[in-house]
Amino acid sequence: MANELQLIVVTPETTIVDEPVSALRFPLFDGQAGVLPGRAPLVGRLGCGELKLSAVSGERSYFVDGGFVQINGKTVTLLTSRCLASSEIDSDAARAELAEATTRPAANDADIDARFRDQDRARAMLSLKK
Amino acid sequence: MAKARAIVKRLKAVKNIRKITRTMELIATARFKKAMDRATEAASYTKKISEIVADLSKADLSFSHPLLTQPEEQTKNVLLVMTSNRGLCGGYNSAVLRHVTARLKEARSSGEELTIEVVGKRGMSYLKFQEMEYSKAYTNFEDKPRYDEVEEIADRYIDGFVSGNIHRLDVAYTRFETVSRQTAVLETLLPVGSIGDDDENAAEEAGQGIDYEFLPSPEDILEEIVPAAFKARLFKCFLDSAVSEQIARMVAMKGATENAGDMISTLSMQYNRARQSQITSELSEIIGGAAALD
Repeated sequence: MANELQLIVVTPETTIVDEPVSALRFPLFDGQAGVLPGRAPLVGRLGCGELKLSAVSGERSYFVDGGFVQINGKTVTLLTSRCLASSEIDSDAARAELAEATTRPAANDADIDARFRDQDRARAMLSLKK
Repeated sequence: MAKARAIVKRLKAVKNIRKITRTMELIATARFKKAMDRATEAASYTKKISEIVADLSKADLSFSHPLLTQPEEQTKNVLLVMTSNRGLCGGYNSAVLRHVTARLKEARSSGEELTIEVVGKRGMSYLKFQEMEYSKAYTNFEDKPRYDEVEEIADRYIDGFVSGNIHRLDVAYTRFETVSRQTAVLETLLPVGSIGDDDENAAEEAGQGIDYEFLPSPEDILEEIVPAAFKARLFKCFLDSAVSEQIARMVAMKGATENAGDMISTLSMQYNRARQSQITSELSEIIGGAAALD
């Protein structure tokens, strides 16, 4: 038990994961971050991408879509608006989303940012599905 | 004979109604349990958000965010009304709509521009009947509101508020307090009053004396967490409404079933009396006839 973290992943609708893990990797706003037991307390902003965890039952990966992470002692909490197991990702929908984002006209900075964000999200989903 | 027949007919009708209301009660109970489970699961998200907010507030930063600041003028306001799609749920809808009427009166006297958006067919028909206009109507929320649907609405409000097209957002909905207590309330969701007040205990428990590392910075996280807190709050309104609707229907149908039961016993008594008096009168006719022959 000493070398384990309790990982909790919550979305506004439900709690998706609540189990001990030996290590995990999640997307921070600027890239992937790995966490091992004994990490210093942290509050951070998540990006979208792959959440990979090593639990007793093996390695699993999820797709998380933004949110926050809080690490406090042995507890790692991920708050995200959307979290899908990698098998649940609908690659057709993601591809359509990517195509839509790529062809969407963007006139100002905010639109361009939104477009890049949507493209990144769709690409992250697709790469996870493969 | 005619009277007894009529009573039998009515008795049958009431028995059928009792069957229907009884079934509706059972369905509402099952749905209520499901909605309740969803609401409890969703609570952990809001709790975590207020924990993080509490952690942030220890980081000595001034809370300033477009969603937190009160606009100078308050003329363009939005009222979101949450009612059910279906009736037969007692005073559930009328309690919410009473708040709406009061709010509309207030808006008329103060001369503000109030846009009404409505969820649920009941609210739509009420407003139509009152000849009040609403700009948007949603009927896609049943007893299982989905977060992505709510998020879409929330994003629109956030955009409107930040760009200055909305100065205030009120929501009229039924707040779930306990299983035996739900109250219709009118709540102001935008500007976000304070984001940490939701759950004081959680805020106090959280991170006492822990020195957090903030990535990228406390300000940046605050900027993200305020909209998230607003969305979670709006979502909670939808969940509360769904749970309360099922409870209201459950209670209403329980009452209806009981009343139907009472009615059945009165009617069957009436029927028995009518039958008895009919037999008595027939007997006396026969006896009278026999006596006339003698």
